Formats: sequence, C-alpha cells, structure tokens
Amino acid sequence: MKVIHGTWIPDASTEFIQTGSFYLWVETPIETKAKTNNIHPGHLSKDELVNFLIQDVGIKETLTTLSQRISPKYFALPTAENTPLPSPEMTRYLEEADILEYDSFQYWQVDCYKTIVSVKVGAKYSDAINIGQLLNEIHFLALYNTSDIQLGSDLLFWYHYTQAFKQVILKDHYIPALKYRQRAKSTFEIYATWEIISEEYESNLKRYVEYMPLICVSGTGFGGTGFGGTGFGGTEVPHYEDVHFFERESLLRHFSEYLLHDIVTHTPSTVAFDKQIDDSLVNYCFYAHKYNPLKSDVSLEEFKQWSAWRQKITRTSHDASFNIGFQLHSAHPDTIDDWHIQFLVADKKDPSLKLALSEYWSMSPKDKTNVSKKFGENFETNVLLNLGYAARMYPKLWQGMETEYPCELRVSLEEAFDFLKESAWVLEDAGFKVIVPAWYTPAGRRRAKIRLKASSKGKSASKVDNKGYFSYDSLVQYEYQLAIGDQQVTPQEWEQLVNAKTPLVHFRGQWMELDRDKMQQFLEFWQSHGDEKPEMTMLEFLQRTAQEDDWEVEHDEFLSSMMSKLHDKSKFEPISDLAQLQGTLREYQKRGVSWLSYLENLGLNGCLADDMGLGKSLQVIARLIQERENSNGSKSLLPTLLIAPTSVVGNWQREIAKFAPHLKVMVHHGASRNQNEVFKTLCLEYDVVITSFTVARKDEKLLSGFEWQRVVLDEAQNIKNPKAAQTKAILKLHAKHRLALTGTPVENRLLDLWSIFNFLNPGYLGKEAQFRKSFEIPIQKDNSKVKSTTLKKLVEPLILRRVKTDTSIINDLPDKVEQKLYTNLTKEQASLYEAVVKDVEDKIENIEGIERKGLILATLMKLKQICNHPAQFLQDGSEFLPERSHKLSRLAEMVEEAIAEGESLLIFSQFTDICEALEKRIKQALHCNTYYLHGGTGRQRREKMIAEFQDPETEPSVFILSLKAGGVGITLTKANHVFHYDRWWNPAVEDQATDRAFRIGQKKNVFVHKFVVIGTLEEKIDSMIEDKKKLSSAVVGSDESWLTELDNEAFKQLIALNKSALLE
Amino acid sequence: MSKFSRTWWGTRFIDALESFTDSGRLQRGRSYASGGKVKSFEIDSNKITAKVRGSVNPYFGVYKEPTYNITIEITPIAKARWNDVVKEISSKASIISRLMLNEVPENIEDTFSHLGLHLLPCSNKDFKTRCSCPDSANPCKHIAGVYYLVASQLDENPFLLFELRGLSKTELQQKLAKTPLGKVLSEELNVKDFVVEASASLYTKVEKKAINEKPSVREFWLGAKRLPQTIDIKASSSVSAIVIKKQGDFPPFWHKDNSFVETMEELYKRVKGKQNLI
Repeated sequence: MKVIHGTWIPDASTEFIQTGSFYLWVETPIETKAKTNNIHPGHLSKDELVNFLIQDVGIKETLTTLSQRISPKYFALPTAENTPLPSPEMTRYLEEADILEYDSFQYWQVDCYKTIVSVKVGAKYSDAINIGQLLNEIHFLALYNTSDIQLGSDLLFWYHYTQAFKQVILKDHYIPALKYRQRAKSTFEIYATWEIISEEYESNLKRYVEYMPLICVSGTGFGGTGFGGTGFGGTEVPHYEDVHFFERESLLRHFSEYLLHDIVTHTPSTVAFDKQIDDSLVNYCFYAHKYNPLKSDVSLEEFKQWSAWRQKITRTSHDASFNIGFQLHSAHPDTIDDWHIQFLVADKKDPSLKLALSEYWSMSPKDKTNVSKKFGENFETNVLLNLGYAARMYPKLWQGMETEYPCELRVSLEEAFDFLKESAWVLEDAGFKVIVPAWYTPAGRRRAKIRLKASSKGKSASKVDNKGYFSYDSLVQYEYQLAIGDQQVTPQEWEQLVNAKTPLVHFRGQWMELDRDKMQQFLEFWQSHGDEKPEMTMLEFLQRTAQEDDWEVEHDEFLSSMMSKLHDKSKFEPISDLAQLQGTLREYQKRGVSWLSYLENLGLNGCLADDMGLGKSLQVIARLIQERENSNGSKSLLPTLLIAPTSVVGNWQREIAKFAPHLKVMVHHGASRNQNEVFKTLCLEYDVVITSFTVARKDEKLLSGFEWQRVVLDEAQNIKNPKAAQTKAILKLHAKHRLALTGTPVENRLLDLWSIFNFLNPGYLGKEAQFRKSFEIPIQKDNSKVKSTTLKKLVEPLILRRVKTDTSIINDLPDKVEQKLYTNLTKEQASLYEAVVKDVEDKIENIEGIERKGLILATLMKLKQICNHPAQFLQDGSEFLPERSHKLSRLAEMVEEAIAEGESLLIFSQFTDICEALEKRIKQALHCNTYYLHGGTGRQRREKMIAEFQDPETEPSVFILSLKAGGVGITLTKANHVFHYDRWWNPAVEDQATDRAFRIGQKKNVFVHKFVVIGTLEEKIDSMIEDKKKLSSAVVGSDESWLTELDNEAFKQLIALNKSALLE
Repeated sequence: MSKFSRTWWGTRFIDALESFTDSGRLQRGRSYASGGKVKSFEIDSNKITAKVRGSVNPYFGVYKEPTYNITIEITPIAKARWNDVVKEISSKASIISRLMLNEVPENIEDTFSHLGLHLLPCSNKDFKTRCSCPDSANPCKHIAGVYYLVASQLDENPFLLFELRGLSKTELQQKLAKTPLGKVLSEELNVKDFVVEASASLYTKVEKKAINEKPSVREFWLGAKRLPQTIDIKASSSVSAIVIKKQGDFPPFWHKDNSFVETMEELYKRVKGKQNLI
C-alpha cells in the first residue's frame, strides 16, 4: 500500500521574495522501527520514489532529471514510541490496531519530489510549477485505476483547492501589479508581479482554511535547529508545544499568489505579442524575472498611476453594497419599437430587494437619506460611477443618461434583441444584475419545435386488465406536429413566422424569439414526414422522452399519466391488502409493489433500489403473491428465478416461508442439486427457484435453457463487471420479466449502473463503449451537468429508490425496525458442528452434576463459536475469511452498503476475539473507519472514541463493541444500524445494547439486524426468545445457566443440526 | 512616445493647432516635444508659459544655445457664461458620470455650442501665442512643441480643458456643488493625497503558528472539517478581461498606442492556453 502525500512548503527565507515549492512524498507501511537519525521509517526513499513516479504515476522524465528534483524535507508528525504514526489512509491497510495517542510532534526527514517541469520561455528553459494538472492525474489514478495507491487527505485537500483556484485563471480575475519596497536611505525598489482581484477567491480562501488539515502546514525545508530552539542536533526531542506550524490562510495565500505569478510568467509568447507589450508595465510583469526590481523614477511614477487605477478597480467591485440592475420591459405589440431598459439598484446581500432609480429620484430628501442609509454612503456617487462602468460595457446606455435623473433607456426592437442576445450577458458577467422578460427566461421561453403526438397503442391502452400483458410489444404510436411552446401551430402560421422580418415576434399574445433557420428545417421535415404514423416501443419512447430537445413529445392521457407516475412514484396507488400474505406491508411497500406490477405490465424492467432495511425482499414476495392472486390460478405461472449472494440464499428461503408459506420454493444449490431434465420437470412444480450467483455461472446452460417468469437479482451490484463470466451467464437467461434489487446508490457508480441496466433493458443505455463516451467520461471527469441530467432522466423512470430520510418513509416506519438475518452454515462449519454435537451426545449420558453442567455450558459456547466462524472455534490462527462463514460475508456486504449510503453502524458480539477479528477485517478488507470498545478499554480512550465517532465531521464509521463493555451507559446515536453478530439469551440485554443508538438524540429510524444461523441452536435460541417475549415473564435469568436444567433429550434437541437447512 | 494623444479630446485639441500651422513646423515641433527640448512649462488658468531650448545656428549668428520664452493663451470663456455651462453639464448624468470616469463625453461640445461656446479650441481665433525666437512665423516650432506636451497632459486630466478656458478647478467645484448631480462630481474631484503604500513582501508572508491544543491524530491528518464529496465547477465567464475592462482602455500607466484592453485579452487567452499547466 502506498499513500501519496504532498503539500506546499515555503522557503525559510525572510527576504522580500519568499519562494516555495510543492512537494510530493509517498508513505509506505512501517516495517522496521526508526533508527535514531530521524529518517521517516515508512516512506519511499529517493530511488524508490523515482521509480514510483515513472512507473505508477507515469511522469515522462528521465531518471536523472527526476533524481535532481528529489530532496529531503521535514515534517512534524505525531510520534509515539519514537515512531511516526501512519496516516489514516495507511492505517486502514495495516494489521495493527489504530494508535490514537501520541507522545508529541517530532520532525521526520522524508524524501520529497519537487513538482516542477522545465518549460521553454523565449529561448531559455526555466522551471515551472506543475501542480494543477498533476494533481488531477494523480486523483484520477487513485480513484479509478489502482487499488494499492491511495490519495492522502493532504493531497486530496490540495486537489480540491487547486480546482477552485483555477477559476481565478479561467475568469481572468487577476491584474498586472507592482509592489513598492522601501529600502534604506529613502531609496526604493519596485517589483512587478500579478495580483488576484476576486471576491470568489476571497470567500474560497475562508472556506478552504477550514478544510485544511494540519499535515498541510507541517512541512519545512530545513532540518537542524530553528524550530523554537530545539531540533535534530540536540538530544531533546521537540515537544509539541515547541513545534511550529504555518498559519493556514497565509500559506494558502502564498501558494495562490506564487502559483499565479509562476503560471503567468511561464506563459509562452510570440514575437508579435512581445512587441504588443514591449516597454510597458505589462511587459515588466510578464517577464518579471528579467526586470525586477525596477528602480527608476519613471517606475515610481508608473507605480503611482497603477496604484490609483487599482484602487478604482477594488473600490467599485468591493465597496458598494448594491448592484446596478437593468430590467428589459417588452414593447406593446402595437408599438413594436418601444422597449425600455429600466435602471435599478439591487441589494447585494438580498438581491430581491430592488429599487427602481425612477422611484428614487422622485423621493423626498428624507426618503433619499433613508435609501443612502441602506445602500451605503456615497449612494449617488456609486450609482453614477457604476452606471458609467456599465455604459463602458454597453455604450448605448449613455443615451439613457442624458438627463439629470437617469432611470431608463429606450430601445428599438432590433436593439432589444441585441441586448437580449449579447449585452445582457456582458453586463451580467461584469457583475450587473440583468432581468429579462419572463418569455425570454429558460423556463418561460417558447420555442419552435416538432412535437411527437404520442398515443399508447396496445391490447388495452388506458386500462390494464389482469391477464393481458403489454409485454415487449407494447407500442407507442405517434405523429408529427409543428408546435410553438405547448401549442400546435398550422403550417400557414409557421410559414408566416419563418418569413417574419424581425427576430422577435409577438405571437398569440406573447413575444418570442425566432430561429428562422431551424424553423425552416422543421418545416421541411414536416412537409416530408407529416403524414407518417410511425411506431416505437415503450423503451424507445422513454429514451426519446429523456433525450429529445428539439423534439417534444406530447402524450395522450394514458402516456402522460404513465410518465407522471414514473417520475413521481408517490403517485402510485398502494396495492390493496393481499389475502395470502402472512404479514403487513407498510404504505411505501404497497406503493413499491404497485410500481413493480405496473412496470411489468408495460413490459418494462426496473431496479428496486430502496435503502437497506426498507424491506426490498418483502416487496418482491408480495409481488409473487399478487401475481398469483391476480391470475386466479386459471393458468399456472412459470417459476421465478431468484439469484442472490450465497450468504442470503437461506434468508430468502426463510422469509418466503414466513410471509408466503403457500409458495413452493426450491433451493438450487450444493453438490446434490438437480440437473438436466429432472431439474426442468421439477422446476415447473415450484413457484420460486433460489440460487446463488456462483451456481448461476456454473449452471449457465441449465438455467438459460428454461423460460422463467421472472429473473430477480438480489444485490444486483454483483453483476457490475460486464466482462465477468457470472455477468455474461446471467445475461443469457430467458425471462418474461427482469428485476434488479440493490441497496447501494448505483446512480453514483456509472458503470455499475450501466451493467445493471444492460441486464434489465439491453441497449437502453447504449453499448458499453458508447456509454463511456457519452456519459461516464463527461460526467465523472469533466463534471458535465447536461449529461448527468440526461442520464438521470433516462434511468429515473425505471429506478425506485426510497431513502430512510424521506419524510414519508420516516412517518411510515416505526422508530426502531427489527429484522432477522438468516444465514446458512458453510460446509466446514457444518462438519465442525456435527462433530461437536456427536461428541457431546456420547459424553452427556455418562456424567452428572457439576461436570454435566460444565459440559453443557462448554458445548453451547463451542457451537456458538462455530456459527460465528470456524477460526474462532479452532483457535488455530487460521484466516478469518468470509468464505468460511456466511454470517461474516453477509455482515461484510451489509457494512459496505450502509457505509456507501453514508450511515454509521454498531456491531455487538459477546466474544472479544470475534470483536477483534471483525474490526481487523472491516478495517483492512473494507477500509472503513472503525472503533472497538471492550472491557479493557481505558476510560479516557473510550471517551475519545465515542466523541470522535459522534462528531458530524467524522466520516461514516463502524463501532464494534463487546456486549458486556458496550452494553450500557454510552451514547452512539450517530449510528442508525445495529448488528447483533451472535445472540444472547436474554432479549433485555440485547435491547439494552441496541439502545446505545436508539436513544434520545437519535433523529433517524434505527435498524436492528440480528443474525440467526439456520438449522442450528441459534435458530432455536431465537424462537425461545420470541416465545419468552410472548410469555413476557422472566422464566430464565440473564445468562445461560438455566439451560443446564434441561434434560438430556431436550438438550440434544436444542443443539441438533437440522440437516435439511444445510445449503451445501 | 509616437503619438501625443490617444483620447478623442486630446486629438481634437491637436487638430485645432494643426489646422492652421504648416506641416514642416509641426514635424519639428513634435521632435521638440519628444526630444526633451522643452525645459519647463506651467499652466496658470488659460495661460501656458514655457521655456524651450533653441538650437545653435551660426548662419543666423546664434553660437550659444538660446532659451526662448513662450506663452500660449487660450481665449477664456467669460466667468458669467460658466454658470450656464456648469448648469447645463450638471443636468446630464451621462456627462457627470463620464467626467467621474476621467473621460470627456463625445457630445460635450453640443452642450457648449448650445450656448454659443466651445470647450475645445477650434480655430486660430482661440489662441494668442508668442515666442521670443527669431522665426517670424507664428506659431513656430517651439510653440508647437509646447502645445503637443499640453495635449498629452489632457489625456490624463480632462479637467485641464476647463482650466485652459479660464475656469480653475476650485471654481469648477464650487459651481458644480450648486446642483445635486454636480455635487457628486465636485466631491469626487477632491484630491486625495497619494500615499505610497510599501509592501513588506512580494507574496503574502507565511506566518508561523504554534498550536495550543494537541490535536487528535485524525484531526492532524484529516482536518477538522470534511471536504465536500463533489467539486462544484462553475462555468467560466463568456466575456474576457472583465476586471480591467470596467476601468476603460489606456489606463495612465499604459503609454503605448495599441489598446491595453486588447493586449490584456490576448494575455489572458495565452495564460489559459493548453500548453499551460493549470
């Protein structure tokens, strides 16, 4: 694992010009402790760093050049036991537990790469800072390409900051500048440079100072003494109170100013341009290194002139508390050349606070004074100055100021059009407020377009009956219409408009802009296609609706109600209660089922992407029941194939058995699973066939040789890799309907999204390469808003995603939702379990009293350990892999999902060794931020962990607690998921633990997940707890001792393994 | 300096002289002005006085470099008429606003001619010139040289025009102050003393800061506040060089004949260029 760090280090110089450089370094795991020389023991040293830069980062420079750019720098790092602590990015990949305490800050020597490149300026080469582009590349590299390169949060900060800083360059928010330096004996020097003039830059600085971590200001170029008197030379390790960091804002300013100067002065020029600036202040600034410092009296004169000029720039952009605004008022249709641009002032802080100048001039002196109070001193001066500046941008404005009381400018239609097209934007960019008539705003603009008048065509268009499916052949028929805004226009009217003499016309009571070329094209199109009545499929229809711009689609009643429902799913009527469902659906779940059946009836395939814990599987089960109730048993439906991760296969089986016991379920898994014709014949007798992704790949031929009623993919992100054999196998399945379930927010991972849609509706989002080009790269690399809106429009109708924070969901859910998670034993676990059971069965007959009691308690312990993980039982140091325990793999999947949703969670276990193993696993394999609290945790550390976990600025994290240590007293309300990895006999103890999250201060619904291993004593304990709850009396104590009272038979029954529940 | 004026009013001021002076003298006058031959000149109300170095010319018996005294007087506008002028000016926001921007509005002469007056000189009737040189022609090259220098001052100080027509700055301010709109300009004309602001460093000095409280390990590396999940990139502006454009072209420190704004637009474009590592 390599973590790339870096920051800006100013040179120690106290001279007038303080330079600086950006340095990168790479952190590696610390293998051997530091020797006494204070060289950081976990970083890439010079040669390694050079190789890394060439091979991994892909810097195209020679070895020699790069070597020259590497030098040692010093960082004050938190240090414990004479070793620098690893960064959090590194810690997540380390075996050891996090170190939260440190003794002090200490300076560590690190080999750093100075990020410069040699560029040609004029005839000479000179070093320029390479940071913006480089960070962009490294960021992309760490994010999308390699898994063992991570971006340190210091570098991530700089990536964000440089992106924001780019605006200064892109918007030309800087000016040539001179700085005056007083020298001895009233002599002076003047330095040419560049200065940033931007309100946005100033506010960004304030914002980013808050984000900036201390590591960014802890670097320095000088070893040895000089840090508050202590340093490397001495034997005394500097205490943290002696360490000095740079002040954040001044460092950011220094970086920004230096970078701007560096960028501008390294800009390539031409002979012609050199001549253009020759012998001027701009020339001194552009070639600053050549001219600095300037010492002549002429320069002083120029400095004075420049200062006055600069002062005027800053005065008008910063001083006034209002903006001048211009509002265009349309002409009356009878006097088409009588347009008005009204002058007004708008408060900067509250732009809705506007005052027309005409109104101001007619005010009484007293009222005028009040206005001045509101808009600042020198109100009239500022108004006149700013009007003057505006007129410089748009000279026509002078005409409106040929009066004592300027309040408006009258313009002709052509001039109004020019204003709308160009001057308005110029004025707006220059900081003036421009208000255009509503008919010209994006929302109010009527455009000429071709409209597709679409109507649903199918077996039954406006009502969907019980039996008839639209299926794939659901068609939409359409015809072309010429339209303006939302009104149809006759070809005659259209032609009149095309032939209009003016660019703005008053048409049907409103002004509008004409694009005659486009209208001519539309007219020609309409003339040749107007009579056709083409058809398209429902999917094509959705595609068109999402992507068309010039083509507007008008819907008939059915289609428009369809579109409005698909875009706002709360419009779905909840289904009525299902007679055969053994349980109750919540309102949103009923609406979910309604959405599912609606889509299926249209022949569309959707993705149910509700947040974890909202009951996706129950909605699927309800759909299965509903489908059968609707078909009235008149004809038997084909079975639904349900593909899920192995760890949830058992859970599906249990859930169907619980909620729909009448559905016949076959689990297609394990070595003895049916094959060939037997499978096919047998299948027809079942309602649901459940299998795992692995088996779906292995039995590709068998499963694709069958026509399914429906294929349901649980945890559909499992097919995110289009090239994987598993994905390919699943794409080959034949089914009437397809349904994907996922709880991870797929819309943020575009290729995953594509892959899931490729399963649901092949071709809908285009081919993979096409999709990359038209969506993934524009959205993820270039942040294209247009593309992401289009994509959203495309997928939205087919995704149902409800999140826990939706108010309708919050109201619909109880504050605490409890859920059992059923998992199976793996083969390894099952054989261990059986061996223990067999051993006990033999022994128990022959012992009595204390010995018997001891045996029973020990057995219970062993079996619980096996259910948790074989490694816990074996205590042989074997690997804690999820493949060996479905319980563990399920937990891991759910942790990932919850973290991806931005939620924090608690995990309880009664075994400290499991807690330890879980923390390690979650940290290292899932790279989550974790905390672990057990009986041995000191009070101080405990308080610190809790505070950190609860801090809203901490990322979503996992808190693992031993049931005994973490069960009482503490508040962890940031978590809204609680997992009970193993079970305790007393529900009160579990509830008490759950209440760490579910208590005062909790604003979200809390989801409690309790693991139960199918067919083992855990399942029996679970049912006993349920019974006990019903009895509501404490028959038993809070521990397991009462179980020793059971007779031998009862005990054997309790622990017996139900083999029918085995998966393999 | 190849041109003596880059503003329309400066150019018009020069045109007036050029209209009645022969081109040879003008040519020599220009080289007098740019060659540093004008030793000193002073403007006192409508009267310009100057000392110009003449040339040694044995043919005319001039063996020692002579110094010639020159006066140029521009016909003043009568004090009483100024009241009307200022009243007229003060009734137009466009004029006041442009004067505040240190510019002379193109249509200012309309205001003057309305009253039968001129602000800018337009014929030889507007001048009374004298030079102590032996050249019999008037205006001679010495007069022309001084005149060009005055013209170049007008670019930066358009209010000099009023002074040359006999209205001092103080008087102008007093008259302006009588109307509400004029008052705004009058206050703007108050000279603010220029104070040289010395900088302690070229770039902001990086300060050092001791920390009082030992931060947690996480805070040290990750900061106290989490970075936003996405980067919001705003569209760049469609109009270039906005910051400098508002101040108009040819700022006082720009002595070249080509446009400062256009030059800066070109520079900004180059900086944004692909070759640059931003």
